[in-house]
Amino acid sequence: MGLFGGLFGQTEEDKRATEVRAGVVAPTRSERQRCWEARDSYFACLDANNIVDALKDDKQAAKACGKQSVQFEKDCAQQWVTYFKKWRVQELQKKARIKELEAQGAIKMDVSSQFTERR
Amino acid sequence: MPQPVAPMRPIINALSRASTRKCARLMSTARSSQHPRRSLPQYLSKAQAHQPLIQRRTFKTVEEAKSRYRSGPFSWKAGILFVLTGGGLLYYFEREKERMQAKRIADSQKGVGAPKVGGPFQLIDQDGKTVTEQDLRGRYSLVYFGFTHCPDICPEELDKMARMFDVVQAEQPDGLLPVFVTCDPVRDGPKELKEYLAEFHPSFVGLTGTYDQIKAMCKAYRVYFSTPSQVKPGQDYLVDHSIYFYLMDPEGDFVEALGRQHSPDQAAQIILGHMKEWKGPLKKN
Repeated sequence: MGLFGGLFGQTEEDKRATEVRAGVVAPTRSERQRCWEARDSYFACLDANNIVDALKDDKQAAKACGKQSVQFEKDCAQQWVTYFKKWRVQELQKKARIKELEAQGAIKMDVSSQFTERR
Repeated sequence: MPQPVAPMRPIINALSRASTRKCARLMSTARSSQHPRRSLPQYLSKAQAHQPLIQRRTFKTVEEAKSRYRSGPFSWKAGILFVLTGGGLLYYFEREKERMQAKRIADSQKGVGAPKVGGPFQLIDQDGKTVTEQDLRGRYSLVYFGFTHCPDICPEELDKMARMFDVVQAEQPDGLLPVFVTCDPVRDGPKELKEYLAEFHPSFVGLTGTYDQIKAMCKAYRVYFSTPSQVKPGQDYLVDHSIYFYLMDPEGDFVEALGRQHSPDQAAQIILGHMKEWKGPLKKN
């Protein structure tokens, strides 16, 4: 917060948003919702531009989805931004792998979390 | 030696004759009610001899009698009775099967070699009150581990838990205690938990404590969690943790782990199934 040159010029709302971004406070339900929406529109833009890894291809991502990226980073905690970007890579890899396996004739199986066998 | 046999023969003969006659009488009685024309009058008592007359009167018309003859013992009444009985039995056996399965799962966790999940703990709730494993006794509890700074999975799971709890609550009021344990005790104090959980369900109990208390709790529940090492004060971080709901019985024994593959309603039905099996004492308030 020291970075922002004192708290006098800030409204309560700005202060709160800064705290959420820094991870000082946990976001509320509506703040989470706003973050998820910003994330979804950012990811939609990455999809449209065929960018998978926004961390690796950060320059390309910034050029193509700069506007969405600014909103994403404004509405989400910094840690969340990084987490969601990594999550996206894993998720896309997972989907691609499943598609590949299905093409080879693999069958989807429901895995139970039970410690004892059922049936 | 042959002497005792000779006098026995007439007795055996008499016995066998008597038993045949008895059989014949039984058969004729049975027959007489169904086929009065073919009955043997010499074995019938006076009342039985009149029966065909009484029965004949139940057919009002010749058509009715013919139709009864054609359809034999199968009538629509018999059909309905058959379907009802069959359906009833099927329902009963299916229910019984489910009951036995739930019981087997619960029992298998009690005996030797069952996973030892849970145990004594001492933590504080979102109001700062001390809570131990004793406070969970007397009702089922659904224990979930998470942290308030969790980006996506915990909030989704807590919404699921709220739905699960409402479904169970509607059928078994006060039978289940929903418990949220933080894996991030450094940032999640009672105040933070109170604000966070209020947005999910007013009945949720949030537990926190010192780092060592939480570490012991997670170990007891076999929950994996890792806070990044060397976090500077004020620096943001995420916590990696297991994402199961742990269902514990009123004696504090582990029953089942419910995962992401169960929908809230499915999970609620599983919980209710176990609750119906519980024969021990329950706390009511």
